[in-house]
Amino acid sequence: MQQQPQAQPTPKPKKKIRVPKVVNGVEQMVEVEVDEDAGPGWGPNDKHTLLNHRYTRVDGPLKATGVARYTYDQRLPGMLYARVLRCPHAHARVTKLDTDAALKIPGVKAIIPAPLTEVRFAGAPIAAVAATTPEIAGDALRAIKVTYEVLPHVVHAHHAIRPEAPKVVAEENNLQEKGKNGDPQKADAAFSTADAVVEGEYITARVHHTCLETHGMVVDYRGGDTATIYASTQGTFTIHEDAAKELGLTTSAVTTTVEHMGGGFGSKFGLGLEGMLACRLSKQTKTPVKLMLTRYDEFVMAGNRSGSWQKLKAGVKNDGKIVALQARQYRLGGLGGGSQAGQPYIYSMGDTYREVYALHTNEDSSIAMRAPGHPQASFAVESLVDELAWKIKMDPVEFRIKNLRDEVYHRQLRRGAQEIGWSKRNPVAGGNAGPLKRGMGCAVGTWGGGGNNQCKVDVTISRDGSVLVAVGTQDLGTGTRTYTRAIVAEELGLTVKDVQERIGNSKLGNANPSGGSTTAPSLSPSVKDAAIKARMLMAERVAPLLGNPKPEEVVFAGGKVSAKGQSLSWQQAVAALPAGGITSHGEWRADLQARGIHGVCFAEVEVDVETGHVKPIKMVHIQDGGLPLNRLTMESQINGGMIQSLGMALWEGRVMDEHLGMQLNPGFGDYKLPGCLEMPELVPIIDDDDKREAVIGIAEGCIIPAVGALVNAVFNATGVRVRETPVTPDKILMGLMNPNLLSRG
Amino acid sequence: MTKSRDARDDHDPGRRRFLKGVGIAGAGAAIADHLWTEAEAEEKEATPETLSGSVKVTLDVNGQKRDAQVEPRTTLLNTLRNHLEPAVTGPKLVCDVGTCGACTVLLDGKPVYSCLVLAVDATNKKITTVEGLGTPEKPNAVQAAFVEHDALMCGFCTPGFVTTISAYLKKNPNPSLAEVKEACKGNFCRCGTYPRVFEAALAAAKGSNA
Repeated sequence: MQQQPQAQPTPKPKKKIRVPKVVNGVEQMVEVEVDEDAGPGWGPNDKHTLLNHRYTRVDGPLKATGVARYTYDQRLPGMLYARVLRCPHAHARVTKLDTDAALKIPGVKAIIPAPLTEVRFAGAPIAAVAATTPEIAGDALRAIKVTYEVLPHVVHAHHAIRPEAPKVVAEENNLQEKGKNGDPQKADAAFSTADAVVEGEYITARVHHTCLETHGMVVDYRGGDTATIYASTQGTFTIHEDAAKELGLTTSAVTTTVEHMGGGFGSKFGLGLEGMLACRLSKQTKTPVKLMLTRYDEFVMAGNRSGSWQKLKAGVKNDGKIVALQARQYRLGGLGGGSQAGQPYIYSMGDTYREVYALHTNEDSSIAMRAPGHPQASFAVESLVDELAWKIKMDPVEFRIKNLRDEVYHRQLRRGAQEIGWSKRNPVAGGNAGPLKRGMGCAVGTWGGGGNNQCKVDVTISRDGSVLVAVGTQDLGTGTRTYTRAIVAEELGLTVKDVQERIGNSKLGNANPSGGSTTAPSLSPSVKDAAIKARMLMAERVAPLLGNPKPEEVVFAGGKVSAKGQSLSWQQAVAALPAGGITSHGEWRADLQARGIHGVCFAEVEVDVETGHVKPIKMVHIQDGGLPLNRLTMESQINGGMIQSLGMALWEGRVMDEHLGMQLNPGFGDYKLPGCLEMPELVPIIDDDDKREAVIGIAEGCIIPAVGALVNAVFNATGVRVRETPVTPDKILMGLMNPNLLSRG
Repeated sequence: MTKSRDARDDHDPGRRRFLKGVGIAGAGAAIADHLWTEAEAEEKEATPETLSGSVKVTLDVNGQKRDAQVEPRTTLLNTLRNHLEPAVTGPKLVCDVGTCGACTVLLDGKPVYSCLVLAVDATNKKITTVEGLGTPEKPNAVQAAFVEHDALMCGFCTPGFVTTISAYLKKNPNPSLAEVKEACKGNFCRCGTYPRVFEAALAAAKGSNA
């Protein structure tokens, strides 16, 4: 049969753009094709009826009353509880695993070995147990007899770097060169033009995510053809493939659900070792298995932010211009390569040269943590910048403005100075009288925050008037559920209450994993696209009732649908829909999001120079981010960034015992989290001078600059430059006794 | 001599803390403070009871009698979450060693870490969990203020904070910011909701006073 030539629709003009994609929490840039003219935009930021306003979280009432059901709260009929046996040695081979006695304990249903026979960090899993109660599972762990061949280890970076140090990974040197950047000769030469030079070594301790809901999942497999995984994850779609392999099922036979989750901060992607063990236990017992890590487990292997050791040298002219930088960074990622942003970070520093190394130790690999690599780089560079300013006696705010090209920082720095009361600051470090000395500091930060084309969203309007937006994405506590509803509600002229959402299920439309601040800029354009299409579909249906306007002339506002001077209530309008309602499908639109954010933090502290105790007084963080989807939740995120930085700056840090090779503080009793009593006055400020009509992710941005700001405030208060986080009282007192002691350079 | 429950609720924190603090070690002290009167402690000492195997406990949870069959070592937290049918999962298991406050429940109106209480020691006491304070449709003043002030993000610490603050506001209906901080210093949040938790507590106090 001869084919008739058909009229082809003219293809829409396309363009190629580069976008961030997150793999295991780390951003990579990939190229995608997008429409050049994709449709109506968000409109001016000050013209929204819901977005850019303050509205409460839709899951707030469930969470505040204990009704919200998290992964940890799942309890299925007959479910077994699993626990993991962990290796007490930093480097060892398992020569014998005797589970006989453990298996005899009533209630113990299965014991499986972990896949590793040679372990390279203390806390590595050796075996997993499933039992009828968690208490009995704990008994079984104590009854398993493991024989180890203990091997040499090294856990401190300054030991690991020595040529004679035990090899962390047999085939490799502990020190691995990862790259060089810039011209060393040119940088060297530039130092000769400098009027002053600062050289120092900056160290950041490894800090932990400490999600309050530990890692884990419930694997509901009962021997049939399908399985459901309840997971505490940042990626609904990062689990079912690997779980299916473990269970011997097809991928589509496994469904992942994540209704509510208790924090991730970059640490919860994929099935993970614990998920693999849970699948194996469930497969073996043909019974649902819940494996949630204990708090100890969580500290020793569920994630930490890469430590860093940075040797920096910079030269500055008396007019305040930085002219040269030499940097060597050691990324301290344990078994992993670690992560760190490159110096000079945001500043213009003339001729720069950088060497990057990974330095391995017998510790679990660091993993992505909120703004991977950035707080470390920011802390060191912001400390260095402060030291340079002090050396040439220039105000740190003016000095920064002089060395930052991007004018957004200039206005943010000036505003921050005003908010904190910078004019009251004593310019002489340690110059205030009395034992309780106040000081102020500041720092800047940046992040991408762009999205990518992974989210597929459906909006259904039913004839009963209900509106449902569905997509498989997850809400980490960032307010994803809430703005997903609000975008649809605003587009249809409804309230947040009029729309329902379904998220957190791998059978719904695809969504990207939540890492690198990519969720809002990936998801919200797809939601907006689906909502616009739903509006147009509905407009077509109601047009005959409104004197046949064009669909784009129909106005959806205030719960009414109007055109040509006529108006229908929502219920009257939806009556025009077909019995099955209408469903639209939304895809990502590059023009509804953007990339590139700026933030500044100012901090005021009070240091007791008799005890070294630091009391944070006030913190201000100013953050831009295009169109704020919800001002209330965005401010909460900015607060959260400041508070987590406060922990990293002053209290948090993994402590390893050199001889035992174990972590000495794997619990909240010894690992100090920011708590109620330490809370300063916090001022989160959304930078409304950013007029971009585009959604940009901000979560990472607001954790970056505060560490530097706090450490600089401690210097301003005391005159002591502590170049190692956390800035604990012992370091401050040491510096007060001997100012040269802490200048490692 | 047995003290009446009313006597135990007396506002005499200084004296009670002093008496109870003696001989009770470490992290448990604050909790034990609420659980053991000196009279009770003497009583226990006089007639030690050894429980083993599996025991039936009847708990008074949010006004309902609930039965569970548990090993005597089972904590109140794990009993609520793992042994009651249906489960009571508002109180969260976060640290299991009394350092974070996420599992806070009220025993006879006083906040305790339920991971530090054995279920067998919680019989004959009124247990109130976050679910017993209000519902999504009818939240109590603190729960409503938490939503209004965005005092929660991931929400995993929220039941503990809500429970602690709800009990505190009964004791002190008109607290200062410093008093609120002091009242919930035994609760950790990781997302960083503290400033709004304080705001919510103060707003709830104001609202219920009005």
